[in-house]
Amino acid sequence: MFVSEIDMLSPRSLKECLFILENEKSSLRLLAGGTDAVVRMKEGKWRPDYWVNLKHVDELRFITIQKDEIQIGPLTTHSEIINSPLLQAHADVLVQACQEIGATQMQNMGTIGGNIATASPAGDTIPALYALGAVIELTSLSGKRMINVEDFFIGPGKTAAQPNEIISKIAFNVRGKNDIGIFQKLGPRKAQSISIVNAAVTLSMKQGTKECTGGRIAFGSVGPTVIRAKKCEAMLTLGPLTDEMIANIGRVAWKEVMPISDIRASASYRRDMASALLERGLYRLLKRWAEHEE
Amino acid sequence: MKNSHFKYVGKRIPRIDGPEKVTGELKYMTDYQFENMVWGKVLRSSFPYARIKHIDTSRAEALAGVLAVLTHKDIPGFNGFGIVVPDQPVLASDVVRCTGDAIALVAAETQEIAEHALSLIHVDYEPLTPITDAEFAMTDRAPFLHESGNIHSHVTIKNGDTEKAFSEADIILENTFYSPRQMHAFIETEGGWGVLEPDGMLTIRCPGQYAYRDRLQIARALALNPARIRVISNPIGGAFGGKDEITVQIYLALLALHTDGRPVKIHLSREESVIAGIKRHPFKVQMKTAARKDGTIIANQVRAVADTGAYASLGGAVIALAIEHCCGPYKIPNVDLEGFCVYTNNGISGAFRGFGVNQVCAAIETHMDMLAEKLNLDPIELRKKNVYQKGDTSSIGHVLKTSVGTLQTLETAEKCELWKNRALHKKDISEPWKKRGIGLATSFHAVGMGIGLPDYGAATLELMQDGTFKVGVGCEDIGGGNGTVYAQIAAELLNCSISSISVVQGDTSETIDSGTVTASRSTYTGGKAIAAAVPNMIRLLTEAAAEIHGVMPENVLMGDDELYALKEDGEKTVTYKDIFHYLYEKHRPTKVEGHFMLPKEQEEFKGSGGAPHHLYGYLTHIVLVEVDTMTGETDVLRVVSIPDAGKVLNPQGLEGQAEGGAVMGIGYTLYEDVLMEAGYHKTTNFTNYILPTIRETPIIETFPVDSAEETGPFGAKGIGEVVMIPIIAAITNAIYDAAGIRIKHLPATPERIFAALKEQEASTPVNLNE
Ligand SMILES: Cc1cc2nc3c(=O)[nH]c(=O)nc-3n(C[C@H](O)[C@H](O)[C@H](O)COP(=O)(O)OP(=O)(O)OC[C@H]3O[C@@H](n4cnc5c(N)ncnc54)[C@H](O)[C@@H]3O)c2cc1C
Repeated sequence: MFVSEIDMLSPRSLKECLFILENEKSSLRLLAGGTDAVVRMKEGKWRPDYWVNLKHVDELRFITIQKDEIQIGPLTTHSEIINSPLLQAHADVLVQACQEIGATQMQNMGTIGGNIATASPAGDTIPALYALGAVIELTSLSGKRMINVEDFFIGPGKTAAQPNEIISKIAFNVRGKNDIGIFQKLGPRKAQSISIVNAAVTLSMKQGTKECTGGRIAFGSVGPTVIRAKKCEAMLTLGPLTDEMIANIGRVAWKEVMPISDIRASASYRRDMASALLERGLYRLLKRWAEHEE
Repeated sequence: MKNSHFKYVGKRIPRIDGPEKVTGELKYMTDYQFENMVWGKVLRSSFPYARIKHIDTSRAEALAGVLAVLTHKDIPGFNGFGIVVPDQPVLASDVVRCTGDAIALVAAETQEIAEHALSLIHVDYEPLTPITDAEFAMTDRAPFLHESGNIHSHVTIKNGDTEKAFSEADIILENTFYSPRQMHAFIETEGGWGVLEPDGMLTIRCPGQYAYRDRLQIARALALNPARIRVISNPIGGAFGGKDEITVQIYLALLALHTDGRPVKIHLSREESVIAGIKRHPFKVQMKTAARKDGTIIANQVRAVADTGAYASLGGAVIALAIEHCCGPYKIPNVDLEGFCVYTNNGISGAFRGFGVNQVCAAIETHMDMLAEKLNLDPIELRKKNVYQKGDTSSIGHVLKTSVGTLQTLETAEKCELWKNRALHKKDISEPWKKRGIGLATSFHAVGMGIGLPDYGAATLELMQDGTFKVGVGCEDIGGGNGTVYAQIAAELLNCSISSISVVQGDTSETIDSGTVTASRSTYTGGKAIAAAVPNMIRLLTEAAAEIHGVMPENVLMGDDELYALKEDGEKTVTYKDIFHYLYEKHRPTKVEGHFMLPKEQEEFKGSGGAPHHLYGYLTHIVLVEVDTMTGETDVLRVVSIPDAGKVLNPQGLEGQAEGGAVMGIGYTLYEDVLMEAGYHKTTNFTNYILPTIRETPIIETFPVDSAEETGPFGAKGIGEVVMIPIIAAITNAIYDAAGIRIKHLPATPERIFAALKEQEASTPVNLNE
């Protein structure tokens, strides 16, 4: 299949899009910002008969709050997330993750739906969504279903979405004023880099203390999918998050990950970095918390 | 002559080619498309080392839309190229020695058809075990990759008695250093156009660094009179040495012979450029340095091995320059130096900004830092004690006859804010686990070719119809801005406005042979050639003005942008336009030439491969780094670059070079490496070849020391390469200053730094009293 032989369909509504996904017999692939799609097309990996261009499906582009729930449309770009006051207030960890994606051009073009659907173990928004306990809404002509972000990913590039389904919404609960989060990324350089390891942390703090009542920790690029660090999470509530405690929690991270060696880094370095990023992230988060309390 | 007398020289003149490059208006050659164009593609080897048993092109030829499929059988002339020895086949016939080797060419109606046709060519290979280690390639166990053996060149320089000096030394350091396979990473990958003109002339438009030599290499492969070939090699989307050798010119020429006069375009993808393009030689440098307690360095022993890959290109010259420079700008009385340039199946290495000096400077300047620490001397003091000055004898036994600015650069370094306040800067960390350090290094780089290579410059000056002047210099502008300097020099000497000067470069039909744009030579050589052409132009103008007004030439004076003829009845103005028309009507030439031979040393050091050079540029770098000890990430926060470029012709141009060079040096030291395994590239494109971005770019200050060089144009030397050299060791020395670890294997990636920190932690004895 030559690139010049690929055609494009541009539905004007979600319904039209779902109709195409349901009934078109040729091979199809959705196209959002194209920042993953075009790269893979050039590499010869993704050469569908038709691109289904989501550009005009405006109903997939939103950031709203419904009762206790924050909802993000899959077509929302990383830049839109970064610049959203609502998300800055309620999803610092996701805003920070989007700030670490590529550089400005990629943030302007790339979408959160595309980042999730590509299902790269190194995708930067995914650990943040784990840490927020997000759910993903999938829609097909026959209806909608909600799926926990942690159940959505099956392996590198593999998700629970069926060919006739589209990611239609990403949602998570509104967070309280003592809920804080941080995203940490280690790449081979500061911009335009694929994570060697990344980590997302959300904590619920007890006012006026260094104590934490609960939290979520997730690592990327250290396994076939993003990994939730439950042992570390359990340690969060064992006592005040002193520097020593933080170092201890960091050390445990080493045991929660199962990385591989590749061109970017060795497995053993990745292991050490899971610990380092968690320790560094918790330290920075607690520092911010202390400053905020003052 | 003082600076202030000059209108253009020494001034911050904006780049004459700046606006069109910055706005994107300029079309580079690979940007062009033509209606009747044809696409060319190159079939590369599937194996790093294999015998070719058979090549079957029949299926590709039968594909609709394919105009031509060419193999070695279709080469009319000599099947080889290479600047020094033509050991690289244009199209491989019996053996492939790297995955970049070309086997066949295709011309087709579209790029996709051409690509598809490549996949239909069947090559029957017999794979052989690739040689991927240069040290192994040098042993008896390794098969010969070329008839002459695997050691392409071996250079030596000996001076004094190192054995004796080592036995008398107070301190001896011995270390091994490894350096990466850096990629030029120019923004415009290799590519261009070939077309057979209706009159039978072959035109090749392809960015290069020496159009006249490219033309000869094309002519040799085509068995064609070079005068029938026009090569246009300018403008260029970056080169850095990577377009010094033939890239695709011969492929374009071969295909153009088979496309019925239709223009054929080749433009390598980044992926193909990674595989086929030339790289910087990875080096292994073993160095043993001896000093006395007072800091006098008394001996240096060096063994350097350069992996040139499958073909020599300029590898022999690279290792020779490395050995010439491996003792730094110092006077070490006893040296024993040798270098090997070795064939392997690892791609091809060749010319790259710095030309071998980068790799060895990293070694000697790390040793200088270690010595300073061990002897408890200030790093600048130690260097000042050992540097040579004009008139001194260098380590390799060369008496320096041209300007040497090292001492001034070190004195400037001592006085600069970053160095003076280094204790303060060190303390100013941003987070508790981060460590800051300051490092310094100094180096030098030859300007022009070594002994054995003729080195000349030539320029043309032409009076145009509108009274302006066209300056023609063969040397291309590979980004450094030499064209602007040429315009400055011409305008200054012709006493005309710089807007009256246009510059043409890199075109065999518009310029005369002026040598390469390499070896930091083009400002110096081209500038001198223009200066040689100007008196000829002035003579032409004055004589014409004198004739017009019937006066003696002595009675013609030069004004601003015009001449005055002194007549009895007063002054008569003669414009350059008048002169053009006068000459034109009389069918007299309006163009003059200027020629210049680069001064050379008389005697070559036997076995050195061309040392010494006559002229060198010098530079000292200071950097401030911050190391994140939790992850091993290093940030370069500040750079001070102190060049001795001779007289600075354009401070803005110099700063551009100093800043670009610093960033390229940061990339080399911290990020960049083309990784290979078993002869295959693991690095594929810019996704995994890590170049520094603006976020890795620190504050860079440039403080030139003005040391005029008598032989240069207005006292200038060359600076294009040395700007990226000392920074390498300055960064690793700063990392040591920050975190106490010595990185001897570049690039100093976070993982390598983290591993060194871990090792340091494991080997530090626990202090029980704490
Ligand atoms: C230079 C560069 C730098 C990058 N840096 C980073 C980085 O730092 N971190 C990072 O995580 N990623 C990075 N990326 C990858 C990429 O930019 C992101 O993954 C981006 O979020 C993808 O979004 P997109 O809209 O461009 O997706 P597209 O390329 O349009 O699509 C990607 C995939 O998602 C599918 N898809 C899109 N929308 C939907 C939907 N609503 N429902 C179901 N499937 C859908 C498409 O079919 C396709 O399979 C980088 C890419 C480049 C080229």
